[in-house]
Amino acid sequence: MRSQYDLSVVVPFLNEEESIGPMFDAIIHAVEPLECRFEVIFVDDGSSDRTLQIARQMAANDQRLRVISFRRNYGQTPAMAAGIDHARGRVIVTMDGDLQNDPRDIGSLLDKIDEGYDLVVGWRQNRQDKLISRKIPSMIANRLIGKVTGVPIKDNGCSLKAYRADMIQNVPLYAEMHRFIPAMASIAGPRIAEIKVRHHARSFGNSKYGLSRIYKVLLDLLTVKTLAGFFSRPSLWFTLLSVPFTILGLLLALVTTVDFVVTGSFPIPLAGTGLLFITLSIFLFFNGVLGELVYDTGDTRNEDFASVSLARQSAHDDTSPTKEALQR
Amino acid sequence: MTAESPAIKLSGIVVVADRVDDLRALARDYWAALSATKRPFELVFVVDGHRSDAATVLQAVRTEDLLPVKIVQLSRAFGEATALMCGVDQALGETIVTLPAYYQVEPTEIPELIEKAAGHDLLIVRREPRRGGKFERFRRRVFHRILEAITGYRYRDLGCHVRVLNKTVLTELRLYGDQHRFLPVLARHAGFSILEIGAHQSELDDFRSRYRVREYLHRLLDIFTIFFLVRFTKKPLRFFGMIGSIIGIVGGVILAVLVFERMFLDQPLADRPALLLSSLLVVLGLQLFSLGLLGELIIFTHARAIKEYKIAEIIGPEDSNQN
Repeated sequence: MRSQYDLSVVVPFLNEEESIGPMFDAIIHAVEPLECRFEVIFVDDGSSDRTLQIARQMAANDQRLRVISFRRNYGQTPAMAAGIDHARGRVIVTMDGDLQNDPRDIGSLLDKIDEGYDLVVGWRQNRQDKLISRKIPSMIANRLIGKVTGVPIKDNGCSLKAYRADMIQNVPLYAEMHRFIPAMASIAGPRIAEIKVRHHARSFGNSKYGLSRIYKVLLDLLTVKTLAGFFSRPSLWFTLLSVPFTILGLLLALVTTVDFVVTGSFPIPLAGTGLLFITLSIFLFFNGVLGELVYDTGDTRNEDFASVSLARQSAHDDTSPTKEALQR
Repeated sequence: MTAESPAIKLSGIVVVADRVDDLRALARDYWAALSATKRPFELVFVVDGHRSDAATVLQAVRTEDLLPVKIVQLSRAFGEATALMCGVDQALGETIVTLPAYYQVEPTEIPELIEKAAGHDLLIVRREPRRGGKFERFRRRVFHRILEAITGYRYRDLGCHVRVLNKTVLTELRLYGDQHRFLPVLARHAGFSILEIGAHQSELDDFRSRYRVREYLHRLLDIFTIFFLVRFTKKPLRFFGMIGSIIGIVGGVILAVLVFERMFLDQPLADRPALLLSSLLVVLGLQLFSLGLLGELIIFTHARAIKEYKIAEIIGPEDSNQN
């Protein structure tokens, strides 16, 4: 697979008719001096205003712009995923469509990629958001996500990120995974860097993707943890889950047996509880077996990610992949 | 004969299943209605299972009324959605009109419906004015209100099976089970454009259903299925996890109280039935939770086959270098 471009800039839009024009100009202004072959991909996430018409016009005027339009509104992660799926660059940069990210940071993200990192995450400095409703929850969430997933990113909410295309295009992104992209990408074992980026207050419109309910984040976090760590060996994961209940169940069974032998009384609720816990651990174990079957029949395999890191190594062996691509 | 011409634009599909009116009169009326559109068309009857009476009547339509309807006979009863998909596989037209095997809408209004469907992926019909007693009306309202709460859209007559749609809607959705009943909900979820318009209810539409209790159970199941399909298909843990954690937390709280009483209030623990109840709840909650995790695993490992988004169009430079 040869990439046509050095860089793809992916920007999802939802009802941003005022921002979309300035956004494109800012991207062009920032990327042109980098002297690389680039494309810009705008993903229209089923906007109900004039965003799509404006984008269509812009695409007609400028060959460097592609617009992907969705049939309806699907959300931020599918929009990002569609852009990434259709990107043809060697490196993919994603950013928000509301001008809160600054395209001038793209250059420094690319520098990091050239240093050999596979994923470079933006870290918003001087966040221009409300403290109580956005900053504090996101601080707690970032801590928690870092702790649980083991990928210590200080700002998971920042959309401005750069990826090596052959790494991220293998990672399934869906539902509301955009908060967890670094953690999900960690399946492919990338080298991750985090750099400081600028952040602006919204100049137009309102924030489209508000703070979701906490339980969603918590459950998604558990999902990501499970998938990132154990998707290729589900029986291990479920067995680990069952261990405390096995121990507890066996302990209770032992206690009641001893009680029965020594005193002759038989506490039924206690014995029942022990049996219940043992039942649960057996149930969990067989869930793991079912999980193995699911993995076996699925089309996302561990090897996919392993081959990515192979590709990465060979890319590093070529002294300059960019130069090689230019010769073609 | 129009129906034999190669460039058929319009396919009428009638699934003959449980509820059947006078098929011969129906075939004549539908044929007349489709002829009135002045477009090359075909009329396909899909007979779901062995209904010898239906087959004889349809043969009579062909031989005696000289209407060249197509008859697709399924080897056994597969259910309406599957029968419909078989009809779609046979259909030659790009526009499909699904018609019930009983009178719902005045057949004379069908040509107008087909006209109005232009520019939309799916046209659904509500019967108005709708007959039916007070209780009947109340029942329908409740059903549609619940649907509105779940899907965010107001449907007025989901039970009307006269629908005009692009073939792509059906080939993409691949209906199964009972999904034909809430096709509009699924189509909207897949991003197709939908128009609902009113049409006169047929004089012969007999709204009384014979199996009352079964009907209610069906509707309830419908609502549950829609709820799951629309809200949680891609995030099973949110569904199972929410229910599981509520049950588990209730159990955990009771368990904590029991243990607290045992340790500090000297209440005996071992022979209290509440212990059994609370640990049962914890176990049930965890089982649901682990089912949710398994669901997530299924979605993740099949993520490539089931793209979540549907692209309307891509504007801009084509892929000159397909990778």
